[in-house]
Amino acid sequence: MNDKKKLARNQKDTNDDMINLVDNLNRDEDLKYNRRSFLKTAVGTSVALSVATIPFSVKAMLGMETDYNRVEIAKLEDIPEGDSVVFNYPNDNDPAILIHTVNGDLKAYNSACTHLMCPVFYEKTQDVLLCPCHKGYFDVSNGQPISGPPQRELPLIEIEVDNGIVYAVGRQYRHG
Amino acid sequence: MGKKTCWALIIASIIVNVIMLQWTVEAFLGREYEVLFTYNLISLLSASIALFAYFQWRKVEYKKKS
Ligand code: FES
Repeated sequence: MNDKKKLARNQKDTNDDMINLVDNLNRDEDLKYNRRSFLKTAVGTSVALSVATIPFSVKAMLGMETDYNRVEIAKLEDIPEGDSVVFNYPNDNDPAILIHTVNGDLKAYNSACTHLMCPVFYEKTQDVLLCPCHKGYFDVSNGQPISGPPQRELPLIEIEVDNGIVYAVGRQYRHG
Repeated sequence: MGKKTCWALIIASIIVNVIMLQWTVEAFLGREYEVLFTYNLISLLSASIALFAYFQWRKVEYKKKS
């Protein structure tokens, strides 16, 4: 037996052959892990969770969106079927993509993937929107995720065609 | 109110708050501000119920036995 470990037999962690009489008396832990402190932690958790929701409300209140401007995106003749152009809407830091699908539809979405914000692009061979970061696919006709990690749809940008020019006029979150 | 009820209320409020936090984040990302505020209210309400239940429990738990 290791000499160092040879503590008196009634001491904690002794290797003595006799019964260790103090092993079940770990008072620190008795005080830390008991029913009462568990309940207190539970209450604290509940309160903390609820407080964590407040910043979202505050931010939402500060950032309420108001009106949308009508913004020119591109000339229709510049985007043949199967092509797409990128633009920013409603602000300069909201990347968006206008797609002329292979079926001839015009669709526009904000292009930040709803998973982790990578830009999505139009994959014309499969007629889908593809996010290359983690292989997220979106339906080009309604912006809903079809496969991969994204759970929410891409925000839809309302468009208008006027005299051969495509304009962005509004935006819809949670559509369809 | 008995101690058991307090425990149940507190555990239930944790469950509610976990769900509400998740829904709040979702609503925030989806810009659904009206429901966001509703979830927020529910969450705060459930936290206050938990606090109330806790004080109630404390009253019973630490009552001097006469
Ligand atoms: S960022 Fe688009 S799939 Fe992850």
